[in-house]
Amino acid sequence: MASGASPSSSATRSDPHKHSTAEKRAPASKEVAAVIDSLKKKLSADRCFSIKKRIDENKKNLRGVTQSTMRSCMERGGGGGSYNKDGSDLLVKRQRDSPGMKSGFSASDAADKNNNNNNHSSFLEDGNASSTTMVQGSSVPVKISLRPIKMPDVKRLSPYTTWVFLDRNQRMTEDQSVVGRRRIYYDQTGGEALICSDSEEEAIDEEDEKRAFVEPEDFIIRMTLDQLGLSDSVLEELANFLSRSSSEIKARYEVLMKEKEVSESGDNQAESSLLNKDMDGALDSFDNLFCRRCLVFDCRLHGCSQDLIFPAEKPAPWTPPVDENLTCGANCYKTLLKSNRIPANGTTEDKTGTSSDGAGTKTTSKFSGKPNRKKPKTFPSESASSNEKCTPETSDSENGVQQDTNPEKVSSSSKVKASGRRGGRKRNNNNRVAERVSRRTQKRQKKSEASDTDSIATGSRSASDAKHKENEDATSSSQKHVKSGSSKNSRKNDTPVEDSKNSVKSDDPVSQLNAVASEPCSDGSLRKDEFMGENVCPGGVSEDKSWRPLEKSLFQKGVEIFGMNSCMIARNLLCGLKSCWEVFQYMTCSENKASFFGGDALNPDGSSKFDINGNMTNNQVRRRSRFLRRRGKVRRLKYTWKSAAYHSIRKKSTDKKDQPCRQFNPCNCKTACGKECTCLLNGTCCEKYCGCPKSCKNRFRGCHCAKSQCRSRQCPCFAADRECDPDVCRNCWVIGGDGTLGVPSQRGDNYECRNMKLLLKQQQRVLLGISDVSGWGAFLKNSVSKHEYLGEYTGELISHKEADKRGKIYDRENSSFLFNLNDQFVLDAYRKGDKLKFANHSPEPNCYAKVIMVAGDHRVGIFAKERILAGEELFYDYRYEPDRAPAWARKPEASGSKKDENVTPSVGRPKKVA
Amino acid sequence: MPKITLGNESLVGSLIPSNKKSYKLTNRIQEGKTPLYSVAFNFIDARFFTCFVSAGGNGINLYNCLEDGSISLLSAFTDEDKEESFNTVSWACGVKGNLFVVAGGEKGIIRVIDVNNEKIHKSLVGHGDLVNEIRTQPLKPQLVLSASKDESVRLWNVETGICILIFAGSGGHRNEVISVDFHPSDMHRFVSCGMDTTIKIWSMKEFWTYVDESFTWKDDPSKFPTKFVQFPIFTASVHTDFVDCNRWLGDCILSKSDEILLWEPQIKENSPEEGTSDVLLRYPIPNCDHWFIKFSCDLFLNYLSIGNQEGKIYVWDLKSCPPVLITVLAHDKSKSVIRQTAMSTDGNTILAASEDGTIWRWDAINKEQADSVEAQRPPLKEKGKAKLK
Repeated sequence: MASGASPSSSATRSDPHKHSTAEKRAPASKEVAAVIDSLKKKLSADRCFSIKKRIDENKKNLRGVTQSTMRSCMERGGGGGSYNKDGSDLLVKRQRDSPGMKSGFSASDAADKNNNNNNHSSFLEDGNASSTTMVQGSSVPVKISLRPIKMPDVKRLSPYTTWVFLDRNQRMTEDQSVVGRRRIYYDQTGGEALICSDSEEEAIDEEDEKRAFVEPEDFIIRMTLDQLGLSDSVLEELANFLSRSSSEIKARYEVLMKEKEVSESGDNQAESSLLNKDMDGALDSFDNLFCRRCLVFDCRLHGCSQDLIFPAEKPAPWTPPVDENLTCGANCYKTLLKSNRIPANGTTEDKTGTSSDGAGTKTTSKFSGKPNRKKPKTFPSESASSNEKCTPETSDSENGVQQDTNPEKVSSSSKVKASGRRGGRKRNNNNRVAERVSRRTQKRQKKSEASDTDSIATGSRSASDAKHKENEDATSSSQKHVKSGSSKNSRKNDTPVEDSKNSVKSDDPVSQLNAVASEPCSDGSLRKDEFMGENVCPGGVSEDKSWRPLEKSLFQKGVEIFGMNSCMIARNLLCGLKSCWEVFQYMTCSENKASFFGGDALNPDGSSKFDINGNMTNNQVRRRSRFLRRRGKVRRLKYTWKSAAYHSIRKKSTDKKDQPCRQFNPCNCKTACGKECTCLLNGTCCEKYCGCPKSCKNRFRGCHCAKSQCRSRQCPCFAADRECDPDVCRNCWVIGGDGTLGVPSQRGDNYECRNMKLLLKQQQRVLLGISDVSGWGAFLKNSVSKHEYLGEYTGELISHKEADKRGKIYDRENSSFLFNLNDQFVLDAYRKGDKLKFANHSPEPNCYAKVIMVAGDHRVGIFAKERILAGEELFYDYRYEPDRAPAWARKPEASGSKKDENVTPSVGRPKKVA
Repeated sequence: MPKITLGNESLVGSLIPSNKKSYKLTNRIQEGKTPLYSVAFNFIDARFFTCFVSAGGNGINLYNCLEDGSISLLSAFTDEDKEESFNTVSWACGVKGNLFVVAGGEKGIIRVIDVNNEKIHKSLVGHGDLVNEIRTQPLKPQLVLSASKDESVRLWNVETGICILIFAGSGGHRNEVISVDFHPSDMHRFVSCGMDTTIKIWSMKEFWTYVDESFTWKDDPSKFPTKFVQFPIFTASVHTDFVDCNRWLGDCILSKSDEILLWEPQIKENSPEEGTSDVLLRYPIPNCDHWFIKFSCDLFLNYLSIGNQEGKIYVWDLKSCPPVLITVLAHDKSKSVIRQTAMSTDGNTILAASEDGTIWRWDAINKEQADSVEAQRPPLKEKGKAKLK
């Protein structure tokens, strides 16, 4: 709209603008008002025009739609002839036969509404006065005796509000809140509408939030200020007109001007594809949406955007079952190592590598041909190098780590032989690298022989060789690389510290790699050094360029997970991006890098984000990055961690412990929890979800029960109202599944833990039926014995404040599904829950409810208080606070005396408590 | 409710009747004393465009409008249970074209009456509370939607008696649902509104396989895998009070609270929560602040008629912009609340179901007739009132 108006108004703009700037006279308020007024008129005219246009468009579309509807009606009406050919259409007959009623008609016979229809003759007596042509027939009522057809009675359902089944609790989403929202309640008996909100909320309602500027407002501000210049009086007028403050408008005008400049300069930032993102960016949605407690995305219980808590102790990287000789595909480093080892032994390949002008195939043929000292047990390197260019393939075979742990195998022994034949001088060199490699590889693989690692080192070099060749294909001249290689190399060595810092950000990847690759060589012979520098440098260039930040980060994650296992990393994390061989090369390079800077203690911290053991070197807690989060996402939960801030004013029922349960939120401690631990401050135990190490003193230790099966208060878990957790308890286990996946080795002689029923959902079948008491009721399908777990009372987790508001509404309907859970939350099963929400209250119940801590969350379990037979209705004591309980839930003797208390009800709504 | 900001004003219709079209009262039927809540013309089958059905109390009656202004009673049905009080009635038909009348009310049970054999075809049980409105899908008249006090909307296949989908849950209504309407051309869409003052647009596109399945279901209807649809594709709050009637007008929506608004939902496909609603036109209706007063349109959506609590009927032209009031129909005898009106396919007949148990029939008259009527008539009361506004 605004844009549509601009051309016409721009014509008028220039004149007053000049006027105001030239004379620097503040325009009179009349003038301002006139300008604003004209703009306003313009706007409303535009708006009117646009509405008309849209209505017209809609009209046009509508015509087609209604006509097609009409057509289908005609077809149904026999026009198509496909319907009602039988001719026995009763309606047609009726339509033809039934006499018309030209005047009054009393349908006393048509519906037994038992009214004395003696007034039908008075119909339209004086109606003629205002509508003369109305009655054409006689005023005698026509009586038609049509026997009404009776519809047999169908029993109605007991009323309920539609509810959604929940198998686990859900946290309320913000948009479900009734706090601060007006709810109009229709009083069925009084027939009038009431507004359910109190004064405190109205205040919130009226409190005007900062309104965003809408486009028309922007238009007026821009146009007016452009025309009249920026002066206080204009601003004031505008502020008046738009009912905002003048400073607000001034600020907005500046923003608008800036926007305009930006749009004029028209900067186009290249869109970054997913692969160009860095890991943190790519992981943002994962971090935000994945619940690390429930291991599901979009967890409805703990919500999105939880604090990221990384455990202080990291598990050792996972090692697959070792099968040394299986390769992970054509590009497996094992295959390629073998093929490239021999070229690496000679120095001639350097020449070929540098001198050849990028004819890849030629090079490779030379390459494989010249240093042919070894019997071609190896693969032809032609195929190897061409393989490199292929897209990485993955195979199902399990691949061992690079070190040969069983050297008796044929291929590995040949490797050993091969390396054994090398010159001693070089060997020195390689050994050094090998030492570093082995130092950083996992401890359990330490025993690997030097000769094995030897081959790794050569492999790394030959890897860069191969890379180099590839690179030649891509980049036109290799000579440049050679020259620049050595120069960079030297520069590199001068500033290792600086670069080690950079290495995290990969600012200068070329030089880094140079440094890394050439370092080992500098210890060796001069000639070697040169060649290495020349050789590795181009390889490094291609390598690092082709490794995007995301791939690098993925690689690092891979090392954390799998250790130095390029097969696994390539297959699981870089599938389709990098081959095993490429990963291996990169790994060796970065390893050298690490060893160079880390091992030489130049800059141990900054050298890399990871070390081989997979620990993050920067141990700061990573908060979830917020920059990628979109506004107004559905189901986004917002909650604060002020767990200790809310004090319940509610009185708990007398016969239960007086302290309400405390909501657990995992702490972020990196060392054993001290005074500042949030769990300690909050008064909860640390759980397995906390960051603190297992040795933390504040941790709940679990139980050691065996024979007792954790069924009594002897079990520390049971005594603390917690379920056992196989992650925590020593002997707790159960057998799951039908045995098709194999039976686990049994612990503790068949004594399964019996205190994990909520966790495992080992519940009874509950039936929904018409209660013997009132409304719906919950019934048990099978008989159970005393203390048997029946099921969970699930619902929406809402705050106490929210519960108070909702309770007001529910009280009107005289049905409440609120249940006190802990100091932070109340369960509301009104719209979401399970069948146990229908279990009725009884002062002498056969069930009881208990709040139990299950894996860090409080949940409500319903248990049998006595033996219950199949088909019996379930009752439990809602334990409403006496002064807030509705009449039906009061103790019989108390109900009379409590009446006066009802006059001044305490704050809060009745809620069930365990 | 979004504030009316600059440049988002809507055009308000004037209450001065244009008298582009005139109607005269041709008949009145006293059904009984029980309030009538619903009246509906048949829009399904062209042979029976003159037939209509009324519902109120425990009775459902089928009538035929004759050309001479008279009305004939075709069939009458009563529920054996006197507790029943029907709130709504709609036409539907089977795959073979056999007509159904579908009614629902206080008991929450939806009655499907086969008009041809005058028997109950199905009684659909499932709603947890009373049914406020039933609407039929115009392109697939076997499908009906029912809006209930139990905060849900249900989609039924009346021929097979299957409850296909339930629209309630996390994103559903927070109070009684009062009105629903199928999109006229997009079969997957419908709109619902209710006491929570919101209007929600739902899509069943992803669930359409269940709809198809419902046609061929041979097993017990209760065994049908009924699905919950928990999230609407759009939620609008253009009103601040109960919204008790809504209808599609092309891709725009007419919704009624204390006035009728025509607004356009602007849905963002990927982020439904961020959609906006743009109110284009306003149709003021004086004395219409009771809830459960519903308007109706003709088949071609040219006109809209609505009664008010004084027994007057306002007829608006839907094709004009800004809105034009065609006429106000009033009669000395008509004093009770008109709960619902019905317009015939061409808009030439308007029926009004009144709370005093009467059905009023108004027929359009041509220009000369109208002029003669005008000449004879003393200055109209209602006209003067309208001017006052």
